[in-house]
Amino acid sequence: MKGALVTGATTPVGAAIVAQLLKDQVASPVLAVGAESYEDVKGLFPQPEVIYVQADLTRSRELRTLLFAPAKAHNVETVIHTALHRAAHATGSRVHQLNVESTRELLRLCEDHPTIRTFVLRSHAEIYRVRAVEPEIIDERHPIDLSPQIAQWLRDRAEADLTTCASIGLSSLSIRVLRCAECLAPDTGSQLFDYLGSQICFQPLGFDPMINLISLPDLARAFALATVAESSGIFNIPGKDTLPLSVLIEKWGQTSVPVPSVLLSPLYWLRNKVIGSDFVYDLNRFRFHFSAVMDGHRAERLLHYTPQSAIMWPAH
Amino acid sequence: MSRSPLLLRFLAQALLDPQQRRRLSEISFQDAGHGFDVFGLHPEWVQGMVALFQPLYKHWFRVSSHGAQNIPKQGAAILASNHSGMIPIDGTMIYCDVVSNTDPPRVPRPVTDHFVPALPVVSSIYARCGTVGGSRGNVHALLERGELLLIFPEGVPGIDKDFSERYQLRPFRVGVAEMAIRHRTPVIPVAVIGAEEQFPLRLRLPIHTFGAPYVPLSPIPLPLPVHYHIHYGEPLNLYEGRSAADADDPEIASAAASQVQAAVQALIKRGLSERKGVFT
Repeated sequence: MKGALVTGATTPVGAAIVAQLLKDQVASPVLAVGAESYEDVKGLFPQPEVIYVQADLTRSRELRTLLFAPAKAHNVETVIHTALHRAAHATGSRVHQLNVESTRELLRLCEDHPTIRTFVLRSHAEIYRVRAVEPEIIDERHPIDLSPQIAQWLRDRAEADLTTCASIGLSSLSIRVLRCAECLAPDTGSQLFDYLGSQICFQPLGFDPMINLISLPDLARAFALATVAESSGIFNIPGKDTLPLSVLIEKWGQTSVPVPSVLLSPLYWLRNKVIGSDFVYDLNRFRFHFSAVMDGHRAERLLHYTPQSAIMWPAH
Repeated sequence: MSRSPLLLRFLAQALLDPQQRRRLSEISFQDAGHGFDVFGLHPEWVQGMVALFQPLYKHWFRVSSHGAQNIPKQGAAILASNHSGMIPIDGTMIYCDVVSNTDPPRVPRPVTDHFVPALPVVSSIYARCGTVGGSRGNVHALLERGELLLIFPEGVPGIDKDFSERYQLRPFRVGVAEMAIRHRTPVIPVAVIGAEEQFPLRLRLPIHTFGAPYVPLSPIPLPLPVHYHIHYGEPLNLYEGRSAADADDPEIASAAASQVQAAVQALIKRGLSERKGVFT
């Protein structure tokens, strides 16, 4: 069996992917790559087939060493790239370096690598443009939001996605870009998780869009399937839960308070200043107004992925 | 906005007889997992809205339905209707009529203009009742799911007609014909007689809030109690003798759209000749 390398392995998503690859016996060994020292993450990977490697992906030399020393030695065939800054408030060139430039560099090095054949990128449903005039069911050809006013958090995600997509067909690698629905779990960079952290959730008055969410087990399963798939390209990875925003708030045990749309941005700005939440309303403005549900037919047909596990709703 | 509010449940209890309630409880829809379909339709809302508009449907407009047997019991189909009356009461009446006259009851999916999903409150209520925004992607997704679409191919210009131009169709947009050919879907021409006379006088306020072309206003506070007649014609199989790729040919799509327009115009002519009076 060939090896796999997972970046961002110390995040909940990365760790779940590592565990799933071993559980489904699609890769062994698995090189789990994280920025933390081994001492800090010792208990995270109890499996003997996991080799933890500490690396700073923003440093070109470390990236090269990672790929051409341990990855080559362990016959790594697939690279799964999930590492990126999760905090919406984090901005600047260092953040861009990890989100975009490391993706570009990793992709380039993988192309020159003697054993790596497959590159899988974790991309995000949030990069799709959501507007009143757009379809509510989003397929892979749906426009990406590249409007000039979007925040770095979104722009970096879109750029990393498009950088990888640009290599499809040009590169010797088999490239799979998985545009995943939002995973409602802590420390995954989920804006909705932060939004639901407050007992009172302000919602645009008169709007109640449909939202699709993916569970962590489904997300990990999609990457395991993508590792062994034969097709390359872009794949939407929807989750099992599709529901209106107000029902989501209710199921999470919080209270929805409709507020005129114009007040939401200042209200959440104020809340961030007082409480320090990572939820940024302006990043979510359009999807809090208009429905956006991903069409997963392509992933179903070519990756054999269908959502199976629902979100674990908090008991209340 | 998510769940059927108590008022709608009360209305369903108060305004629908037990048989109607039983019928409407059989509404089939593709549940996406939490009681809603992917576009946001919720069957309790459908039931509640049919109950809410029951007095208008039965007593105010006294809707007479003709040819509802032409609506397919299942599978994708497109209802293509004339549009009139300043505000889309005609759409609501067709909606109630289809739900009431199909067995098992089918929920038509009205396709609205682009600005409607941006309207607060209205967009959410519409979505719960099955309405979708008028994008090619939405229509494609609904037809793939085997839904019954309700489309007004005249668009806003149809509803904007002056009283002197009543029952004269505006040019049909080709999208309906194109989609019908591409998806091998029958088109059922629909003619609404009566709606043209419900608001004989109207004003257009040049207010473009939320992208609306104008805000309609009438010196008459309520629509006149005209007698609505809804006629459903024989299904048009526009795809017969045409391949799915023909949908991309502008001439073929345009000719097919004209065919639909001619069928609706013929139904209107028949409907007008059959009616005894505007209010009777």
